[in-house]
Amino acid sequence: MLLATVVGQVWATQKDQSLEGLRLVVVRPFVRAEGGGEKHSAETLVAADPLGVGCGERVLVVFGRAARHVIGRGHDIGFQTAIAAIVDGIEFEGGESLGPSADADSH
Amino acid sequence: MFLGRVVGEVWATRKVRDLEGKRLLVIEALDERRDPAAPKVTPVVAADPIGAGVGEIVIVAFGKAARVACGGDGDLAYEAAVVGIVDDAQIPEAPVSWGFRGKR
Repeated sequence: MLLATVVGQVWATQKDQSLEGLRLVVVRPFVRAEGGGEKHSAETLVAADPLGVGCGERVLVVFGRAARHVIGRGHDIGFQTAIAAIVDGIEFEGGESLGPSADADSH
Repeated sequence: MFLGRVVGEVWATRKVRDLEGKRLLVIEALDERRDPAAPKVTPVVAADPIGAGVGEIVIVAFGKAARVACGGDGDLAYEAAVVGIVDDAQIPEAPVSWGFRGKR
């Protein structure tokens, strides 16, 4: 499972039948910056979104069978990444804490 | 599976039902090529069924092993879980910062 920030949404008309009607979002995995906060990473992932997340929100991403379970369409679907939770906050050692979005970070 | 250090905890109200009631820890993998001053890696989030604390070094399992550790099997929304808290380890090349003293 990874922490990530939602950075966009994807639409695709031609896709595997098992993915019809599935909301797909683009997320950027969380990387900690030196001295606290989030470091901007260039990498992105595509994840199915059964919770209805918004752009900029921090989320928990799950993979593989756990992701297919979260999507709830059985295990024979062509997808392996999904949003499982919307993050309220992350508390790090040393008292550092991050909020539900990069905009809400206080440090 | 890997060894990692617990660096934090995640709080989430809106989540899939399976994740309710389980602590979610933020864990950074130990990397012998990396000293504490080097750039941070992408941390992993793992469910914690055994009660690990921030700062502790833990063993993290993935996939079905993680779901079994959380008391389920195939149909759980987890794929990473803490399955052990490390007391000590003997890794000759490990940096001092890992805090292992090895068997004495």
